[in-house]
Amino acid sequence: MSDDITRTKFNREDARLASTCVAGGLLLALMTGPAGTADAPLSSAKTSLFSGHVWGFLAFGIALAVVSVWRRKVRNGEWVSRRESPRRSPSVFVGNVMGAMSNAWWIVAFVVTFLVALLVADLTGPYVPNKLSFGQLFTQLQDSRTYGYIVFLWWIVNSIRLRRSRAARHGVLPAFTRSAVFRVLAGGVGGFLFALGADPWLPEKFSFSYFTFHNNSTTAFLSHLPTWLWTGCGLLLGVRAVLADRNKSTHSNRLRARQFKMSSNTRVALYGVALFAAFEAPKFLSPFWQEAIFQQIGIFCFLAIGLNIVVGFAGLLDLGYVAFYALGAYVNAYFSGALPIRPPFILNPFLSIPVAIVVAMAAGVLLGLPTLRLRGDYLAIVTLGFGEIVYVLANNLQNITGGANGSGTIGNFSLNIPGIRFTLDGQAISQDLNFYYLLLAFMIPILIIFTSLNNSKVGRSWAAIREDEVAAASLGINGLKYKVMAFAIGASTSGVAGVLASVKQGILFPSNFALQVSITVLVLVIFGGMGSITGVLIGSAVIGWLLQFLLFHSFIDYQDADKYMYIGALLILAMIFRPQGLWPATRRAREFHDAEIGLGTADAVGEPAEGPLA
Amino acid sequence: MSSYIAQGLFAGLIYSMVALGYTLVYGVLRLINFAHSEVLMSGGFAGYFFLHYLMKNNNEPTLTRILLFLGALIASGVVGAVVAMLVERFAYRPLRRRNAPKLTYLISAIGASYFLLNFAGKEFGRNPISPPSPISNTFQWNVLGTSISLFDVVLLVVTLVLYFFVNVLVNKSKVGRSIRAVAQDQETATLMGVNVNSTIAATFAIGGFMGGIAGLFIGLSSVVDFNMGFTPALLAFTAAVLGGIGNIRGAMVGGVVLGICMYVPIYWINQPFYEPVIGFSILVLVLLVRPTGLFGESLGRSA
Repeated sequence: MSDDITRTKFNREDARLASTCVAGGLLLALMTGPAGTADAPLSSAKTSLFSGHVWGFLAFGIALAVVSVWRRKVRNGEWVSRRESPRRSPSVFVGNVMGAMSNAWWIVAFVVTFLVALLVADLTGPYVPNKLSFGQLFTQLQDSRTYGYIVFLWWIVNSIRLRRSRAARHGVLPAFTRSAVFRVLAGGVGGFLFALGADPWLPEKFSFSYFTFHNNSTTAFLSHLPTWLWTGCGLLLGVRAVLADRNKSTHSNRLRARQFKMSSNTRVALYGVALFAAFEAPKFLSPFWQEAIFQQIGIFCFLAIGLNIVVGFAGLLDLGYVAFYALGAYVNAYFSGALPIRPPFILNPFLSIPVAIVVAMAAGVLLGLPTLRLRGDYLAIVTLGFGEIVYVLANNLQNITGGANGSGTIGNFSLNIPGIRFTLDGQAISQDLNFYYLLLAFMIPILIIFTSLNNSKVGRSWAAIREDEVAAASLGINGLKYKVMAFAIGASTSGVAGVLASVKQGILFPSNFALQVSITVLVLVIFGGMGSITGVLIGSAVIGWLLQFLLFHSFIDYQDADKYMYIGALLILAMIFRPQGLWPATRRAREFHDAEIGLGTADAVGEPAEGPLA
Repeated sequence: MSSYIAQGLFAGLIYSMVALGYTLVYGVLRLINFAHSEVLMSGGFAGYFFLHYLMKNNNEPTLTRILLFLGALIASGVVGAVVAMLVERFAYRPLRRRNAPKLTYLISAIGASYFLLNFAGKEFGRNPISPPSPISNTFQWNVLGTSISLFDVVLLVVTLVLYFFVNVLVNKSKVGRSIRAVAQDQETATLMGVNVNSTIAATFAIGGFMGGIAGLFIGLSSVVDFNMGFTPALLAFTAAVLGGIGNIRGAMVGGVVLGICMYVPIYWINQPFYEPVIGFSILVLVLLVRPTGLFGESLGRSA
């Protein structure tokens, strides 16, 4: 590959190196430059933006670019007479410090798009009222934070690319980048930088004044907890990279990174920290994060864990997941007497959970049994249809579900056994935190059960079916049984989530159970990492944050319904660039890799082992 | 009763047009194209904008109306084909090049469908709009105790003509031969000099053309709406399975049979919203009893 590239005078790799250096300089400049705040974009501070030390850093970046490209050229013997054996550069220090990165065409494309957008905005702006107005886009881009994001993402992506391409050519990275300290520090700094941009509540962006906390109380410190969590994630990634490197094998680089295993002590400690954070953090977070957790992440996370069984573990596609959620919700509404048809007896939501589980599971089995005997992709469309049917029925059966006007008010959770008293007034905003704890109380046992299920015979059978159904059948694994089982478990989880959500919502409207919910949950699973519970949790957190961020900042005429557009685009991009997700399960990632080189299927979507029409 | 049968028949014709898109793509790629519903939707919008901007009032002379209708037909068909090809280009081809597992195709198609759906919702508004109809509704004929409008006749004629052409295209033309070859065996077809990528794109385009025109008819008979493709597409898939997925004639017959089977029970139930419920029950029933459909699955073999 490198042969045809190095022949050109100024090739893509050089451009990558140069642009990275400039980006690094710009990043430093932005970080130390004047603060742009969330409400006051830089336009007010424009005069000071390109002044003083900012120019200095920019010049530093450019100088770095020139020097590193020049060194590279000399090293490769392209800019001096060709030598027999190219002199090895003493160190590619400069290029690597800045993480020489990016694709020239990427930047060109960005700049061109930006210019074209401005042109189009000038030409069409006044004629496109309330539409995607590029004028507004430009205003948004003037916000220093947005600049910061773009430059930072560019920098980090390209750093990684550079490391990869260097590693591919020379086999190893320069010594100091391999040192554990460097990696851990780099990870931490990266996480911290990302957090600076990611927490929109920080008053001043990219400014060192960030370090002086305004109210010197502990809660103020804790309200920046997400920042420290991101930093922690970065540190962990660094540790992970170090450990991965220690554990070299013959596999390709990408796979090697997945091979390290934490010691069980570390693992337990991490779980403890996570549990503690899960219980304590929401109390201290800023309103932005609280809302993100309670509105965007909570119940969706719960749903995603259930769908992960179907999509991640069993490799099936379930597009009617929301139907079971609706079933659970309506079962609860029925037993709390909120529907036009009266139940024989009123049940506390705690007691309607088992009923919801049974109903949802029965629906899952009834739907799965005929369909899963056939090709797995039929399941997708049958569940899609089932979701639509449940929605249509909920909407139209006036005298059973209350129709589009919604149900009556649903009863609350209450628990009153000696020693434990718990009541939840679902509708009140102040109860968000209590609801969150209720969710945790259900989520933690479910997480434990699902993890051990995946490590049991059942989980191994799922893996076998995913990888090669014929081989699995020849070992005596009943494909249909395990597929229906996965489908039914997913359905019943969704039913439980439905009961919980119905209490929180207080009144059920059929529009709460539209297809959008299924797709959103699917995105959480896909984006986070199919088959990995940690991945799904991370995916839920990232997407939840993203949706809240979009809502909070109301970019270019953003309405809440538009999020589904971004979600759709995200699904395509994820499938093209990272089908295994952000944090995939080791085995699942390997399956995807193997399937692409022609080994196994990585899903249970094809024809079953007994043949298509068995 | 007879009016329900007629209603079912004409709804079934639309389903059969849509079902063709599913069947062709399935025959070639062995995949359900989840983004096909958005092909309908884009055809509907194309027809809407064409008629909205060109049809000045409802008193146009007959010749203008005919021209307008043909124009709208071509506009929505072409837009449908282009959208289908774009979906293929961006949601399928990158994965095919990488030899990705099947699950990823389904997911990326869902993503494409979802993106298009909500993009249309954002750009064109989320409220239903109805296009002006160039087909006069003053003509009504009484046939066997049921009244049939000019719209129904036009629908019948257009569907039959299109089906005739698609049949000829797939069975007689060179493109059709490569489509059948790819459906039978992609690797061998490549060895025989068939350009697989462009053949698949052509398959999407043919299905998309029919889907776009079906979208126009749906828009003319009810409303155009960012969400309009969803239910018809689901039912059309049922039609494709009913006729035997991958089978062109099966899609045609399946659509009509499904339409009639769906509308006749409404005669007794008298609740129109049950249509999709019945259609969906038919899908599950077919999968249970005769998963190959009425005519078997065969794009490559007989078609």
